[in-house]
Amino acid sequence: MEIEPELLATETIVPVYFALEDDELLSIHEQTHSASVSQGTSSAAEVLLHTATANGFQMVTSGAQSKAISDWSITSLEGKLTGLGGEDLPTIVIVAHYDSFGVAPWLSYGADSNGSGVAALLELARLFSKLYTYKRTHAGYNIMFFVSGGGKFNYQGTKRWLEDNLDHTDSSLLQDNVAFVLCLDTLGGNDDGLYLHVSKPPKEATPQHAFLKELETVTSSRFPEVKFSMVHKKINLAEDMLAWEHERFGIRRLPAFTVSRLESHRNSLRTTIMDMRSQVDIQKLCRNTKIIAEALARVIYNLTEKGAPEDLQIFTEQMQLQEDQLSSVLDWLTAQPRAAQLVDKDSILISTLEYYMNRYLKDVKRHYVKADKRDPEFLFYDQLKQTMNAYRVKPAIFDLLLALCIAAYLGLTYLIAQNFGLFYNLVRRITLKQKQH
Amino acid sequence: MTLLQLGNCVALAYSPLLIAYRRSSLSEYNAFWRCVQAGATYLFVQLCKMLFLATFFPTWDASVGVYDFVGEFMKSTVDLADLVGLHLVMSRNAGKGDYKIMVAAMGWATAELVMSRCIPLWVGARGIEFDWKYIQISFDSNISLIHYIAMAALVWMFSRYDLPKHYRLPVAALLGLSVYKAFLMESAINIFAVGSWTALLVKALVTGGVSLSTLLLYISLVHGN
Repeated sequence: MEIEPELLATETIVPVYFALEDDELLSIHEQTHSASVSQGTSSAAEVLLHTATANGFQMVTSGAQSKAISDWSITSLEGKLTGLGGEDLPTIVIVAHYDSFGVAPWLSYGADSNGSGVAALLELARLFSKLYTYKRTHAGYNIMFFVSGGGKFNYQGTKRWLEDNLDHTDSSLLQDNVAFVLCLDTLGGNDDGLYLHVSKPPKEATPQHAFLKELETVTSSRFPEVKFSMVHKKINLAEDMLAWEHERFGIRRLPAFTVSRLESHRNSLRTTIMDMRSQVDIQKLCRNTKIIAEALARVIYNLTEKGAPEDLQIFTEQMQLQEDQLSSVLDWLTAQPRAAQLVDKDSILISTLEYYMNRYLKDVKRHYVKADKRDPEFLFYDQLKQTMNAYRVKPAIFDLLLALCIAAYLGLTYLIAQNFGLFYNLVRRITLKQKQH
Repeated sequence: MTLLQLGNCVALAYSPLLIAYRRSSLSEYNAFWRCVQAGATYLFVQLCKMLFLATFFPTWDASVGVYDFVGEFMKSTVDLADLVGLHLVMSRNAGKGDYKIMVAAMGWATAELVMSRCIPLWVGARGIEFDWKYIQISFDSNISLIHYIAMAALVWMFSRYDLPKHYRLPVAALLGLSVYKAFLMESAINIFAVGSWTALLVKALVTGGVSLSTLLLYISLVHGN
């Protein structure tokens, strides 16, 4: 994982291919290695013989030159649960980006970053939609869910969605009364940290502050092994890339924060191809999702003010968080690479996500982002996956050597044929001599 | 150097034929056309064999890895038609014994070489990748040449009316061995799982043994009286 950022930063003239290691690749590597290494240690005759007979490999790829793709659409999905009680209800937005990033797009499965975020978001959608179906538990908050694309490319999906909703439409839930925006990013690894990243520490008596307090309450009373803390990082507009997704909302003056198990946005775990399904610990992911769900419920239903005990378990029994559900959603998400260059608007991933969200949420809509024509924010290239064939070739000297050997053999055969008569007479004499005895 | 590899294999395969043709002074007898006729007979016999196999032998799903001994044995039995073909060629050519043998064997071996080895070599040896099996195919054709000469000699001896009684058995045994040689080689490979070069060596040895015995019998037959 240390080589990966360096590889990404270097410019190369030749394409660099990544492949999963298996026995055949290893044997090719060994053969080429041994062919080049032995030149220093053996005698001249051996080296000569070796050069003539060594196994070389010629690699041939089938694809064409990589070209820029024009008109690529990044798709994002939104859905919502409407609160009970007329107009002007406060809105909570829950956001997670679904794409993954790595040095080789076809090999980046992004299990923890951000497959875990999407799985957590979908589980929250399921739980809250279940709560909202009963009138008694239908709270007075609108909850919006946004699964954004292009997250690893500086949150393009979120940026355009905000522009469209705040600048170009007349009325949107985002314009009126947003309590806070909660972004989910990397929640599923094998550690016990949980951080709330903010760009401005929340002021007292705001919903953001309430949520922060509820997170502290839930972790300290029921999950003491979790080390929870708030991380304050100002938005730095001078940098190329924004740190976390909530900064996009912060730029547009919406109160937002990101929950993550990572302490720093620079952690290379977020942009590596080594982020595979096996790295994710489902139990820890389930626990983190539960913490978020409980804290959210306490804020929405105002439980602390109403005097509910600190270790009250809300999501139990039939409202239980389903670990199997989380596990299978994550399995499905990591079954295909989800790099932003690979998920276009007709992809199965998007349609399945849309279908899934339609089961629990209302008004599920797609949102498309195309790069600006004159000053594009992103540019993708194709030919990212190729088939490479390795042919075992021998050097030209070898063929000449073989030709010499064959010529010698043929010369021998010719001599034998010429002198076959001698052999014939010899055998004749031997058999006749035997007959006579 | 892919064409060079093809050239190597072709030279290895065809040159012994040329050498044998020149050496056996067949050119004195204007035997070229006769050899071509023998080749045509070979084609005809192969066609009949294929038709027979296709009609009478059902294609059973042989499980991979299990060598179907009985089936392959039956199929090798059909190779007896080869002997009939050789006999046909030789009976149509008037002349001395060894002239007939050589004509039949040369024509037969050339036809077999052209039909069964040309295409694999053309397609495979020209590719970028080098594989030893093409050299092995060419060697195999050399061995087949010797094998066919021995077989033609045996057939000729078998069909002679003045063949002494005590010769019949060894001749028949050698004939049977040569017909089933392919089958025996395949079974041996399957049982012992030998490498390809070892198999080639064993084949060469077997063919050498058969041809040497044939030579002995031939000499004692022709010169013993």
